[in-house]
Amino acid sequence: MTGSDKHCRGSFARLDLPGLCRRAVLFVGGTLLAAWLMPAQASAEPIKIGMLAPLSGPGAQIGESAQVGVEYATKVINEAGGIGGRAIQLVIGDSQANPTAGVSEVRRLIDHEQVDLVIGPTYSQVTLAVMPLLIDADIASINVSGTDLLTPEAAPYSFSMLVNSRVQAELMVRDAKERLKASSVAILSDSGAQAKTAVVEIRNAVASSGMTVTGTQEYQYGASDMTPQLLDLRRGNPDALILFASTGDDTGHVLKGLREIGWKIGVSGSYGVALAGPGIAIAGKEAYENVAGINYRSWTSCSNGSPDPKMAAFIEGVREFRPAAAVRLPFNYVSLWYDGVFLLRQAVEANEGSTDGATLAKWIEQNSSSFDGINPGLSASADTHFLIGSANLAMVHPAETGEGGVQKRVDCE
Amino acid sequence: MDEFFIIVIRGIGIGAVYSLVAISFNVVYQSSGILNFAQGHMLILGGVFGSMFLPPDAGVLTWLALLIAAGLSIALLMVVQGYITLLPLKSSVEQHSWLITTLAVSVIISALILITKGPFALVVRDPFPPFRAFGIETPAAYAIAPILAIAACLGLGWFHRHTLTGLAMSAISQDLEAARAAGIRVRRLQILSFAISGLIVGAAGFGVGAILSISPSSPINYVLNGFVAAVIGGIGSNAGALVGGAMVGVLSMWAAYNVGGEYQNAVSLALLVVILMARPQGLFGRVLARQV
Repeated sequence: MTGSDKHCRGSFARLDLPGLCRRAVLFVGGTLLAAWLMPAQASAEPIKIGMLAPLSGPGAQIGESAQVGVEYATKVINEAGGIGGRAIQLVIGDSQANPTAGVSEVRRLIDHEQVDLVIGPTYSQVTLAVMPLLIDADIASINVSGTDLLTPEAAPYSFSMLVNSRVQAELMVRDAKERLKASSVAILSDSGAQAKTAVVEIRNAVASSGMTVTGTQEYQYGASDMTPQLLDLRRGNPDALILFASTGDDTGHVLKGLREIGWKIGVSGSYGVALAGPGIAIAGKEAYENVAGINYRSWTSCSNGSPDPKMAAFIEGVREFRPAAAVRLPFNYVSLWYDGVFLLRQAVEANEGSTDGATLAKWIEQNSSSFDGINPGLSASADTHFLIGSANLAMVHPAETGEGGVQKRVDCE
Repeated sequence: MDEFFIIVIRGIGIGAVYSLVAISFNVVYQSSGILNFAQGHMLILGGVFGSMFLPPDAGVLTWLALLIAAGLSIALLMVVQGYITLLPLKSSVEQHSWLITTLAVSVIISALILITKGPFALVVRDPFPPFRAFGIETPAAYAIAPILAIAACLGLGWFHRHTLTGLAMSAISQDLEAARAAGIRVRRLQILSFAISGLIVGAAGFGVGAILSISPSSPINYVLNGFVAAVIGGIGSNAGALVGGAMVGVLSMWAAYNVGGEYQNAVSLALLVVILMARPQGLFGRVLARQV
């Protein structure tokens, strides 16, 4: 044993480490520390989530709700430790409700930003346009689109939080027949891709129910005068009007048109018809007297009373997060985007941090029913990637809205 | 039969809005050769003014005062736009930077409306009661729009024929270089034309706001139909703009009623193609001799 060794051994006992021995201990300690830190640093690398929504252009009112929902979910998850210990880094894209702009933004999100997951888009025409890019990049996504063309084959790694056209068609036709006692209906829709598939589904549902269609008409998004379309539909003398609208503004203009031409007809409307705030500003509350729309069942009640504690906390949280915007936001729609981020988190954590599209899609197909979000009990499967089924929905009176947008159900009467 | 007249009344009403946009196109175009693609946005800004300042209990005098205020406000805004647009141009016919400038202004206005007012459509109250025509309730704005369009057309005609400034502006439209050589202060009159254009379109947006869709995304519809009306009538002809606007309005309504709403825009554009094939200068446009 050398003198140095002796000194070193003695120094260990006193934790006084001069010269070579101290360097050796520091080297070993540093290596161990680095080895311990390396995986920690890798797992601390953020998960990039790309959000695609129409933040400008004709869908901007929807985009604002989407952005608030996703940003609020990101804040809540990051404050709770992120996804499996990894913080979410949100990258926002503006689709402008335009397929060309949507494709361009998704290319940026995938190629330049290298996102791991995507939330959005909405508007079916945009979702259909960007889907091939998401499939090629093996990215799992939660969209908010309702066209029935989004089958598991066409969108293998993508799931929709929006009610699809077929389910909406069935609900509206049933409402026209049972509530309005109709034997014939006229169909009025906007010019979007979802509306086009919805009209086909409505026609099928009407035929199955034994009713007849007296006429079909269409209007452009954002039109302010639908009088010609309504006059045309009135010629067929239907018992009820089935209205497939995407926004409350459009619904308001349709109802204003009905009032102006003096056509008192019951209306069975889509999810967009239930977004009553902007429509009431345009047409007045009384215009909604004989109108029903579709809402998520968890956002409905028979008493028009207070929402349950979980939902109340969500509403309060959004109000604190974006107080100015919260005044005009439809909370039920905000919750779809919020839940979408939480569903992705649950899927990634259940698969040990994997963001592989096929892996996450398989997990969501098998486990979405156990999701306990603001809109619980989702119903995707290998046969359908629509997370919202008919059991999650109800027909409501749009103008009878309580705290946070909870609406009174039609079947309460 | 009633439906036909309802379509005509409403078509003329909404067509008059297109006419007003077309007339405001003409005013700027005649003095500078510029097609201001922000005109639809200026129209909607007039509507935004109405949604902000028109009180619920406004009477006729208040409405008239605010109509003038809306027109003057937009006129002032367009003076700024005109100055910026004309700034890089020694003569507006020499380059086409105005294309980008006017489009940029339209994008900025949309963004500002979105940021300050939110994405939802704004509502402008109609202080006048609706009138009944052929069994249906018709908002007064459908009658106000043609009145404003005719007033703008007649007023501009008088201005161009009976005032020195108007005559000088007519001179610019005929030969800019000759007018400049004759001592006319061309740039000042060009900016004045932007102001007049703003006055027309701002007052129109306020006056008929009740039948407009006032949101960040809606101006494109009015600028496109206004442009189609201007081309059908003949660029530079205000009488042509009146007729062109009415044709576009009535035909698109008729198409929605008889053919289907999905063909509304296609039919008005088909009308444009047919008229341009028959009369490339538009219905009331003049064929100009060109030195070769």
